Amino acid sequence: MVHLGKSNLPDRVDPSLFPDTLLIVFISVCTALLAEGITWVLVYRTDKYKRLKAEVEKQSKKLEKKKETITESAGRQQKKKIERQEEKLKNNNRDLSMVRMKSMFAIGFCFTALMGMFNSIFDGRVVAKLPFIPLSYIQGLSHRNLLGEDYTDCSFIFLYILCTMSIRQNIQKMLGLAPSRAATKQAGGFLGPPPQAGKFS
Amino acid sequence: MLCQSGDKPWKALVMPMSWRGGGQKDEFLDVIYWFRQIIAVILGIIWGVVPLKGFVGIAVFCLINAGVLYLYFSSFQQIDEEEYGGTWELTKEGFMTSFALFLVVWIIFYTAIHYD
Repeated sequence: MVHLGKSNLPDRVDPSLFPDTLLIVFISVCTALLAEGITWVLVYRTDKYKRLKAEVEKQSKKLEKKKETITESAGRQQKKKIERQEEKLKNNNRDLSMVRMKSMFAIGFCFTALMGMFNSIFDGRVVAKLPFIPLSYIQGLSHRNLLGEDYTDCSFIFLYILCTMSIRQNIQKMLGLAPSRAATKQAGGFLGPPPQAGKFS
Repeated sequence: MLCQSGDKPWKALVMPMSWRGGGQKDEFLDVIYWFRQIIAVILGIIWGVVPLKGFVGIAVFCLINAGVLYLYFSSFQQIDEEEYGGTWELTKEGFMTSFALFLVVWIIFYTAIHYD
């Protein structure tokens, strides 16, 4: 790496540091849009998905309303009715997840190839400087394949993950592709706590 | 798409509004969500420019983020937290995404101004 005489830059820091930082943010935006694009082509625009999603949202809201109004003294009939509705919702959520499976495989395949490519391009390169020293178990990610002991050096993969976490969720919300909160809450029982980004992926 | 209530998000940020009714619950949570993202961007820029470094920066961000939103929904909007599942549900709405966004903006501005 060439030191171009900027006295505030340590020798090992590439002068293209900031352009790399911006490039990774740009890559993250593009990959988030690509992921949503693939999902739209394979899943979102299909009638089956639209029908299932509308059904899940309707059932989730109905169930939530019912749970809010139910009291301790509610009869067995009422409780059994709610259990049946929960079971129906669980089945619909499972079907919805199956429909999304196609896009998950396609995205997984694309991203494995893309990540392999980006990892080799940015291998050993410091792409940003962190204004904090990460916790030791995160350093394996933030300082991945970087030389030296300066843990404020940021590797490609750490910045990319942070960008994806922030950008993908916001893109989904902006495009109206994120599922409703009621549906996410009800899906939690089947899928476990939903991830913050890409709730139905 | 940003919020299903048309121009409400922007009015909702600066004016007390009456958030009543099931349909408006999601809309209010959308306002909270986007308010959090805006705070994350603003604090990320300030922290990167100053610069504020270390875990102090992260801790202060968490306090400000939670504190400002708490004041917003309890004092300014005066909503009933129980309607939304309690203070914790409102506090965690969009928090992780805003935290990631804060880190990204902080890192970008810190790198740009102090290392470029």
